[in-house]
Amino acid sequence: MEMLSPEEIVESFKTALASDFTDSKIYQKEVAIRKNLFTSIWIYVKREAFRKAVEHVCELQKYPHLSVISSSDRGDIVELIYHFTIYYGHNLKELSLGLCMDLPKEDLKIPTITDVVPGALFTERETQEMMGVEIVGIPDNRRLFLPDDFPQGVYPWRKDGRGPHDMLRVLPGRRGVRGGQNE
Amino acid sequence: MSLNSFKRALWVYHLNTGSCNGCDIEILAALTPRYDIERFGMVLVGSPRHADVLLVTGPVTRQMEPRLKRVYEQTPDPKLVIVVGACGSEGGVFYESYNLVGPVDQIIPVDVYVPGCPPRPEAIIEAVVKAWVKLEKAAQRVA
Amino acid sequence: MSETKTKTSYTIPIGPIHPAVHEAIRLDLGVDGEEIVDVDVVVGQVHRGIEWIGMNRNNPVQSIYLAERVCGICSTSHPFAFVQAVEHAADIEVPERAEYIRVIIAELERIHSHLLWAGVAAHEVGFDSVFYLVWRVREKVMDLMEYLTGNRNSKAMFQIGGVRRDITEEQFPRIKETLEYYRAVFSQLKTVFLDDITVRMRTRNVGILKTEDALKLLACGPTTRASGVPKDVRQDQAYGAYADLEIKAITPDVLTGTVVGDVYDRIVVRLLEVKQSVEIIERCLAEMPPGAILTEPKIAKLLAMLKRAEGEGVGRHEAPRGECFHYVRLEAGEETLTTWKIRAPTYANLMSIPTILKGGQIADVPIAFASIDPCISCTNRAIVVDIKTNEKSFLSGEELHKLSIEKTRRLKAGLDS
Repeated sequence: MEMLSPEEIVESFKTALASDFTDSKIYQKEVAIRKNLFTSIWIYVKREAFRKAVEHVCELQKYPHLSVISSSDRGDIVELIYHFTIYYGHNLKELSLGLCMDLPKEDLKIPTITDVVPGALFTERETQEMMGVEIVGIPDNRRLFLPDDFPQGVYPWRKDGRGPHDMLRVLPGRRGVRGGQNE
Repeated sequence: MSLNSFKRALWVYHLNTGSCNGCDIEILAALTPRYDIERFGMVLVGSPRHADVLLVTGPVTRQMEPRLKRVYEQTPDPKLVIVVGACGSEGGVFYESYNLVGPVDQIIPVDVYVPGCPPRPEAIIEAVVKAWVKLEKAAQRVA
Repeated sequence: MSETKTKTSYTIPIGPIHPAVHEAIRLDLGVDGEEIVDVDVVVGQVHRGIEWIGMNRNNPVQSIYLAERVCGICSTSHPFAFVQAVEHAADIEVPERAEYIRVIIAELERIHSHLLWAGVAAHEVGFDSVFYLVWRVREKVMDLMEYLTGNRNSKAMFQIGGVRRDITEEQFPRIKETLEYYRAVFSQLKTVFLDDITVRMRTRNVGILKTEDALKLLACGPTTRASGVPKDVRQDQAYGAYADLEIKAITPDVLTGTVVGDVYDRIVVRLLEVKQSVEIIERCLAEMPPGAILTEPKIAKLLAMLKRAEGEGVGRHEAPRGECFHYVRLEAGEETLTTWKIRAPTYANLMSIPTILKGGQIADVPIAFASIDPCISCTNRAIVVDIKTNEKSFLSGEELHKLSIEKTRRLKAGLDS
């Protein structure tokens, strides 16, 4: 398996995805005494090219390591980042690769990747229940962390009024909840 | 003062209602040869039906609330409930989370609180002894 | 065995740390006779909404202490990954001395965690006296942590931009004395765990996870290294002082010569890692650079800096159980974190449980399940569902533990006769 440099990896994405590739960012930092580099790459793609991008990552590394899927509520859109790492197993060669895409809130759907990465099941289930994104084709649709009697339509990570602010526990002796959701 | 109501040593049942495990390891460390509560005759049992003392840790999450109530009902009288850690006493760092149903004393009556995050094993042993003395005094008043 | 398989569905509450520690884990096993056929993992009972609290109520410095309480056993790993993510997002430098101190604390925690696990594993097999002995041995490293940081668990050593307390030259002799003790005790541990025939019979070829499954199911930590995949964040990625030390991931063929991927291999990997941790700490003490320990000592200034910062960052650390991952996004003008995602190592390892348990016996469930070193409060619950008959019966954790002990006695009796 050939190990590409960060710039070459970005170029390979541009070639594979053509117009669906929107942006990229490379962050590098020197660490400790010997000043070895910590590298992380962020690739921004359009949601239509998502499956192609994941397959491209699988070409760069046979079994890429997926740490987690993180999601942020940015107002009208939800940004999903798939945190991959490639080139593990070799001394100081691993690169963090974040695959980022935006989903409009009216159409929160994205296909599953459990056929290529079976270990992504838990993190896809969590994204479904916590952010309200629908993962199309997911093999197991149950809730992961929230109890079964948690109300439907309440998504803890949202900041648009659909968060759990009605469910916060007011301790005895207090009048209300400090802090809470953004008004 | 002689200890009358317990003709044998205290048997302790430990229940975790969603804690981070810090208090749980300190409870287990109290069993090990360094602190060794077994020399006082205290033993960790596997079923609440055999227990005299309930050691509860953790802020009670929604999913664990029915289990906590069931364990409390299964424990035979006379019994004591000791809450270990800041989470169980008042919520700790998780105090207003959406998945909590309140500190332990909102669900079952509590006799002794052990503050700390996590409290040391010595503090836990002292708590069990204090609870024991409390139960003795209560038994003497009734008799 | 008859053609028509009878289905019995057991609901088994199993405690990951100690059978008497009834933490929220439910295993529903579907069994055919003695053999396990189907497994389902259900989590959720320790869900406390930590990410929500960090995003809505706490400022980043308070979230460090919240991250510590995600799990009390790996209470250094989560803050380590978290502060790295924030430093990445806000582009804050870390002084070199602080990097070395961070590594010393992290390795001390690895020693304590692996010894804790070794005691629990011994208990699951039925050797209670080994459990007590190993936890007694563990007390030495707890004393050292208290001497250095002030507390046994939840040590509060990490701060964004460095560490909060220094490890000075006067403290070095005490550290070296503890390391000498562990060096001396290591060969005894090896004899008790690896050379004992009964342990080998209970753990060899039990709970096997093949290399390809470990890669596909994204296992991490000793679970995946025992299956031959040399994944170790300390080796692969430059962070902390590990970038200077050239760590090598430990796979079981270093000691035994082959890789099987069973419970025995996991014991081998963890014991060898204790030895590796002792060596890492010694190197750090020898090579510790002088200098400051914090980039920004005043907290008010630090918070103001973070409020102005904008960016996103990723922090990873090799916790005793595997890869601990934090993602943080900061936006200018906001006091709290905008987005915070935690991924604890057991989250990933739990997905391997069905593969590990299937095809095995019920009596092997405690030791096979404990071999991935589940820290359930990092994750949340597991339910194993095996469906053979539609009858439901309940096996408590105690009964399961008894089955495990009985198997050990049977094997031992077979040996002695």
